Amino acid sequence: MLEISDLAARVAGKEILNCVNLTVNAGEVHAIMGPNGSGKSTLAQVLAGREDYEVTRGSVTFEGHDLLAMRAEERARAGLFLGFQYPVEIPGVNNVYLLKAALNAKRKAAGEPEVDAYDFLALIRQKMKFMQMSEAFLTRGVNEGFSGGEKKRNEVLQMLVLEPKLAILDETDSGLDIDALKVVSQGVNSLRDPTRAVVLVTHYQRLLDYVIPDYVHVLSGGRIVKSGDKSLAQELERRGYDWVMEAQVA
Amino acid sequence: MSAALRSFETQWRARAPDALQPIREAAMERFLKLGLPSLRDETWRYTDLRSLAAQSYGEAGCAATATATPIATAAGAPSGIATLTLVDPAQHAATLTMRNGCPLFSSDLPEINGIEINSIKDLYKQDSNYLRRFFESASDADQRRWVLLNTALFVDGLYLKITKPVVTPIVIRHLATGDAAQAAHPRIIIDASPGASATIIEHHLSEGDIAPLSNSNTHIALGKDAQLEHYRVYATGAGATHLDSLDIHQSENSQCRQFTIVLGGGLVRSSLEARLNQRGASLDSHSLLVGHQDRHVDCVNIVTHAAPNTRSRQTARAIASDLSRVIFNSKVIVNAGANGSDSKQSCRGLLLSPSAEIDTRPQLEIHADEVKCAHGATTGRLDPDMLFYLLSRGLDRETAQSLLVYAFLADVLTGMSVSSARAAIENELINQLPDAQTLRKFR
Repeated sequence: MLEISDLAARVAGKEILNCVNLTVNAGEVHAIMGPNGSGKSTLAQVLAGREDYEVTRGSVTFEGHDLLAMRAEERARAGLFLGFQYPVEIPGVNNVYLLKAALNAKRKAAGEPEVDAYDFLALIRQKMKFMQMSEAFLTRGVNEGFSGGEKKRNEVLQMLVLEPKLAILDETDSGLDIDALKVVSQGVNSLRDPTRAVVLVTHYQRLLDYVIPDYVHVLSGGRIVKSGDKSLAQELERRGYDWVMEAQVA
Repeated sequence: MSAALRSFETQWRARAPDALQPIREAAMERFLKLGLPSLRDETWRYTDLRSLAAQSYGEAGCAATATATPIATAAGAPSGIATLTLVDPAQHAATLTMRNGCPLFSSDLPEINGIEINSIKDLYKQDSNYLRRFFESASDADQRRWVLLNTALFVDGLYLKITKPVVTPIVIRHLATGDAAQAAHPRIIIDASPGASATIIEHHLSEGDIAPLSNSNTHIALGKDAQLEHYRVYATGAGATHLDSLDIHQSENSQCRQFTIVLGGGLVRSSLEARLNQRGASLDSHSLLVGHQDRHVDCVNIVTHAAPNTRSRQTARAIASDLSRVIFNSKVIVNAGANGSDSKQSCRGLLLSPSAEIDTRPQLEIHADEVKCAHGATTGRLDPDMLFYLLSRGLDRETAQSLLVYAFLADVLTGMSVSSARAAIENELINQLPDAQTLRKFR
């Protein structure tokens, strides 16, 4: 589904990613871990199509298409979803309108008719219930006045409504208390199926207790320095990131 | 002497003296002596009146002219502006119409409990001293230059005396009819007794694109504990020139919520001068300034905290597209002794075209020690994080941009309590934004 090869990228003239190689197949859940500043969020943003992040080398294909040649909105419509680490507040743009516009943009790209207003509201209510979100959400601006936890729930809600083929969740677990973490994990797990893939970018292992990954990668210094199965995450939790980096040097 | 000045003087000499003669004469003398404001005057540095000065002006009459076209219908209206209806006729509201500054009283003048509506002319004919305090403003300040001319030349106006809490919104429709070689001087006085409250909407509109020069003044006096929500909405045609000034005088614990909305006109100069004269007086000023096509909008706010524990908030959102230019000048003055004054000025501008211009200038002048004054001004483009967020959800770029522009501006309107007026303004705002068609889907 996703094939990243020798990817290098710069942000504000500084090289953050220097040689990322990663293959994600349908049905898989990958966790990308790593210390702060290792390039995890940059990788997520580059994949989603942030323009001020400059790709200097390498290639990325998504379902056989050259992802880097697509604009952010085209990537989204093709089924790529980024759950933001810090979802932005947009007062004046209603949550529900945004969701509806997003869903319709995707349907239009797929040659489907716009969603029926009544069906849409029923869908939203069902997903909101699943994510244990309050009704107040319906009338508020995008993320406006939301707590950190509410913002993350909203990201997952959007993901559930848009049903992406590939979800990249950037530190969706950070800032969540244990109950919210469970709800968010439940949301992510509900999307797991043989036709989809999930990439979890996370600093800590605790999310991986609830969303069990098939593969765990350690990103450090702009490249993937170690890959393994879920036991790698547990080992990292026990021994810290220094252990991987020392092993690299040795 | 400029042609404009000469023509105003000619009009003045042709006038028969009335009960306000001494006040008018003093004002006219000052005006002629000072002349028209120029780019050298502090509050006029962004607005060039030379082409206005080169014209001669006759008096815009009160009667409907034979040549005047009827109010344009939706199909024929210039960008739909003239048809902007702020309050749904089905809704409970009272409408008063002024043509070129003269009240058009019809027999079915609304009777509203708690409010007396009078012609200014009728009142001073009966007692020249009754309204005197509202006319005495021989100030030389450059932002008051046109008020002097208004005082000298206004023909009539409306005096609204609010004596109780009034729920029904009052709409004053200022209709400008005639040609650009005429001038009108509309005058409104809103006088709220202690404890009274009201919502008053001034709606400026014209017949078609061309209209007489409008030099209007509104004076608001709020008694102790009085509350007023006041809107002024400029929706005149693209060829109209409007010089409007608003004076607000507030007593103890009075509250004023003011909305200035520029959605029309070719040249709009809109000033607001507020004096918080007694403890606890509070002013919230909201400005929505839309630069569209080649419109020039110059907004000047001067708020004086003249007593302790007074509060002011000024929020302005400006947008400039095409070849337009928008200026927002705001100044807060805290007088000596006005300790505990609390003021905030926030102005944000958004440039939508490389040929457009926005100038913002928040200023503070503080003569007291214990005050809390904050100000901020930014002008820029759309927030890249917000834009990327919307794009990453699959919205196309145009839609994402228009949504953000709309959200940026509509934020100012959230405090409006007359929902039909707010909806009508939002609708007209959308008409003047790029990609109006898409935006309509989001309403």
